Amino acid sequence: MKIIVAIKQVPERDAPIRIDASGKWIDEFGLQWALNESDAYALEEALLLKEKSGDPTSEVIVLSAGPERVGVTLREALAKGADRAIHILADDLASRDSLGLARLLAAAIAPEKPDLILTGLQSEDLGLGQTGVILAELLGLPHASLILTVEKTATGLAVKRELEESWFQTIDLPLPALLTIQSGGNKLRYATLMGIKRAKSKECRVLPAADLAPASPPVVTLASVTLPQKQKSTQFLTGSPAEAAAALIEKLRTEARVL
Amino acid sequence: MLTALSNLPTLAEPESFSTLEKILFLALVFASGWGFWRRFNFVLQRILRSRPDPGFKLTHIGKRVWDFFWEVLCQAKVIRERPLPGLAHAFVFWTFCAFAIVTLNHCASALGLGFLSPAGVFGQLYFDLAGLFALACSVSILYLFARRFLLRPIWLGKDLSWESGVIALLIFLLMATYLASFFFTSSAPEARVLWWAHTLCLLAFLPLIPHTKHLHLVLSPATIFLSRGSFAHIPPLSGDEDFGLVAGTDLTRLISLQAYSCVECGRCTEHCPAVATGKVLNPKEIVLGLRSYLNDFGPASAEPLLGHYNSQEAVFQCTTCGACEFQCPVGIEHVPILVGLRRGAVNTGAWEDDHGGKLFLNLERGSNALGLSTTERDRFIEKTALPIFDGTQEYCLWLGCMGGYDPKGREIVADFARVMRHLGASFGVLRKEKCTGDPVRRLGNDLLFQQLAEENLKALAQNKVRKIVTICPHCVRTIQEDWKEYGTPPEVEHHSEFMARFADRLAPQSSGSESIVFHDPCYLGRYRNVYDEPRAIVAQSGQLVEAPRNHERSFCCGAGGGLAFLGDESGQRVSHDRVQELIATGATTIAAACPFCNTMLNDALAATGDAAPKLVDIAQLAARGAARLS
Amino acid sequence: MSVFVILEDRNGKITRSSWEAAAAATLAAGAPVTAVLLGANTEALAAESATGAFSRIIRVEHPLLAAYSSDGFVAALYQLLQTETPEYVVLPHTYLVRDFAPRLATRFGQVLISDVIAIEPGPAFVRQLFQGRMNATYQSTGPLPCFISIQAGAFRATSPMTSPIAAIETFVPEIAARDIRTTAGAPFRASSQTVDLGSAQLIVGVGRGIKDESNIPIVQALATALGAELAASRPICDAGWLPMERQVGSSGQTVAPKLYLAIGISGAIQHLVGIKGSQCVVAINKDPHAPIFEIADYAIVGDLFEVVPALTAAINAARQ
Repeated sequence: MKIIVAIKQVPERDAPIRIDASGKWIDEFGLQWALNESDAYALEEALLLKEKSGDPTSEVIVLSAGPERVGVTLREALAKGADRAIHILADDLASRDSLGLARLLAAAIAPEKPDLILTGLQSEDLGLGQTGVILAELLGLPHASLILTVEKTATGLAVKRELEESWFQTIDLPLPALLTIQSGGNKLRYATLMGIKRAKSKECRVLPAADLAPASPPVVTLASVTLPQKQKSTQFLTGSPAEAAAALIEKLRTEARVL
Repeated sequence: MLTALSNLPTLAEPESFSTLEKILFLALVFASGWGFWRRFNFVLQRILRSRPDPGFKLTHIGKRVWDFFWEVLCQAKVIRERPLPGLAHAFVFWTFCAFAIVTLNHCASALGLGFLSPAGVFGQLYFDLAGLFALACSVSILYLFARRFLLRPIWLGKDLSWESGVIALLIFLLMATYLASFFFTSSAPEARVLWWAHTLCLLAFLPLIPHTKHLHLVLSPATIFLSRGSFAHIPPLSGDEDFGLVAGTDLTRLISLQAYSCVECGRCTEHCPAVATGKVLNPKEIVLGLRSYLNDFGPASAEPLLGHYNSQEAVFQCTTCGACEFQCPVGIEHVPILVGLRRGAVNTGAWEDDHGGKLFLNLERGSNALGLSTTERDRFIEKTALPIFDGTQEYCLWLGCMGGYDPKGREIVADFARVMRHLGASFGVLRKEKCTGDPVRRLGNDLLFQQLAEENLKALAQNKVRKIVTICPHCVRTIQEDWKEYGTPPEVEHHSEFMARFADRLAPQSSGSESIVFHDPCYLGRYRNVYDEPRAIVAQSGQLVEAPRNHERSFCCGAGGGLAFLGDESGQRVSHDRVQELIATGATTIAAACPFCNTMLNDALAATGDAAPKLVDIAQLAARGAARLS
Repeated sequence: MSVFVILEDRNGKITRSSWEAAAAATLAAGAPVTAVLLGANTEALAAESATGAFSRIIRVEHPLLAAYSSDGFVAALYQLLQTETPEYVVLPHTYLVRDFAPRLATRFGQVLISDVIAIEPGPAFVRQLFQGRMNATYQSTGPLPCFISIQAGAFRATSPMTSPIAAIETFVPEIAARDIRTTAGAPFRASSQTVDLGSAQLIVGVGRGIKDESNIPIVQALATALGAELAASRPICDAGWLPMERQVGSSGQTVAPKLYLAIGISGAIQHLVGIKGSQCVVAINKDPHAPIFEIADYAIVGDLFEVVPALTAAINAARQ
């Protein structure tokens, strides 16, 4: 089985968020980058499928679009066990919307003719959660999203999908297909010294973005960013037990919006 | 006086031997020597064919010579840690040394080449002196025999050792035949009988040496001389294919030498916190397991080291407290062996552990071992109004993961900051800290450790940090020793060392009457040899009380070796064992000097009940003292 | 300006997030909008939706829309939108919508602006980046329609009208069985024997403040009222008052619920590392200096034996 995992390099979780000079993005100076969390689970799922299949011709290919720094994250993915990598070299991703990006990925994926494509559910920076689904549409593939676990069946795949409020559902779909993977469905493996050393000899092909799909004007534009007035302090609710209880329920309903 | 001397009893030696006797003697010597060499060469080859130790240099000759003198010749470790059996063994050893010339002469005289005559003054004196040693040795060996076969301490193993019994018997017979010959004259037939009896015992003993744990007679002086140079020293990996101790091909010469030097005394077992709480791990078994592996497979084998005689489960129960290595009288270095075995499992991804994996992922993505957001640490710094290090202050106060994120650790930091302010010390904390990497280093994840060490060294250099003071002995150790592999770390000291220098400025008028028992942290005591400085602070705040296992014998709290992050222990908890001991001293307060000890002991105390003693860090005692002064 | 809002239903009723999306759409349009329902038999739903302030209600009906499928919904809506050509299509931001709306938008050469929390004049749509640490304003510059999905709770649903004013129409799309490539099984919950705290969305955690095993039912009642899972800090499980599988912390489970209520828990680091993934933490503790308050979003310093029953009562009353 040939599996392609589309991954994204995002600023690390604890990165300081400061607006840059253009007012349209964060200041990237001194930022540390990491593999997007749900993409890590997608990669893990791909590696598990390959290991479970016992098929020596199975291949896991990681694919990512972005500037040169993305190469580090692709190397990490190779170190975790992917067989080869494709780096779509693009310095202008900010000027592409999700559709434009998906077109780039589709152009790189189509000649590979994979059996399965996995993406993470959504990215930690933009959080649009659409690139995978759009990719499925562009490639004409059936898809399922919010997937926790994947099993190969005689007719294709049986996957476990997460529904709202702790419900789950099994979905059957034929191959080739695309899945967007939710975090937490499996246990991530840690990067090992052996993996990093082996990764040095694995192929990482670089494809310039312009060769794959020329940049077209975006249909959706990010006009500006602002920092919300977020109070990170603890709100103490006072009064009699009944009063405090009532205040709490009100806050949970309307402010925190968790009830 | 000479006449008095000549009236002392003297050794009886047959004057001459027949040709037949000489031939028989030579044949027996040859057979015995061949028996010795065959097995000794097998072991020697196993050791020499192991790969060389990366980074090992024969430096600090002075220290090595001193260790050899003190530990081998003076038997210091042997006696100190187990006084009575230690002294008995020392006598046996010293007798062996004294008998070197005696034995040489004994054999030479068979061929008519004897050089020491019992008739001469020097000879007579020497033989009499050797006789005194022989007496001491006989008594000692009888005692040791009785201890092993009648008293049966559990540290010596469940099964009785026949080889020990045979060796004890031979030693006793050697001494008995020697002493008995004082009661006869050289021309008496008994002298000849005793001579041959002594010879047969000698020639039976010789081939037994390499076949039993008595190989330590030959090896241990070399083992002690060829130590790695410092306590619990973790060697570097070498080259692209070195992932730690995976298979026989990874065993190094030092490890093989040490494995074959083990005398099975069980001192490591006796002091191991894992053994004390019923875990699978037994340090003696680890070493003997490697020896068995070498005997079976040799150092060129691709067979995995774990799975035949030792299990992965055992290896990951070690807290790296170092009590085993500290106790070992023959110079075995257990900590690098255990860390090496862990490296083999972790660097290859063979170790699958939920909590361990989470720890590694937390540090792959984030800055601290707990996986918490750095905003938590930022808020703490803001709330406590800690000054930010800007390159101009003298000290960088390193918080560490516990100091920055753990509620108890933060209390310690806040109190120590108060002390530093009281003393007028110039200090600041870094805006961002990354974990020093202690838990991943001890767990054997070299990839992650290298990343953390290099990033930290770069950040410290950029921030112009020259001196670090910190509340955590694990940070101290890792910064000072382990980071050396990747660069030059700044000076670093523990807050007890800092405070002890200013103890007089932290002493309140009256020391107070509360009894305080001090718990020596492994990484401050055994690892750093710091025992008096924290006690100086404690003694100023109350009556210092010692736990039964104190100073270098201190019993681990259970957090080291990355174990604080590995979730539930099996069996009894190490921290509970230690806490019972501390409570039993009757002290009303327990003083700790490490945030990990603090957290572990606190957990254990919480399970005890309301009458439990209070638990404080020495920084809190000092802050109290400082507050009373100002 | 023609604006469509796609309504979602569960167990035969229109969901609250759909009503909120409708309110957002109406607010932005400044006039009543068109509601769209999908299903095999949407008559009752249409009647319910008619109580909303819609100008039109379109029932998209087809037997193959009885159960949700991405292929089915995309095909049906694609055909409808090609016929109707609205300028804006508003949807609630649900797991369902995230599954089909991007495919639908792609067919129109558009990109869904998802998880919108505010609509500004322009129109410009505000959504969150970096897990809520930053707000971004998006604009649509491409072909119509513009697709947006509304974050649950971002807009208040308007109360239903007493007199229905909408006209109800039916639209029957052309869908063949072979167009639907996925088969979905019945929804299920994790087995009731195994406690799956890791995926629980609402958790009530109990600590040593509960003092005695016999007091656990007080907290259990709160959990039941909330529909939450019960969890505990280590000492409670060590004492055997709750099974080990309910332990949350460094040696137990790691949880990431929307809401974690810490009752009588002091906040030792071993417990905190297990709950740091919680979206919202509420702490109830007698001790005003308990470390748990450092990380709580909402806090009540009080006696849990008084506060918890009051909370349970209030929740049960609100249910009615």
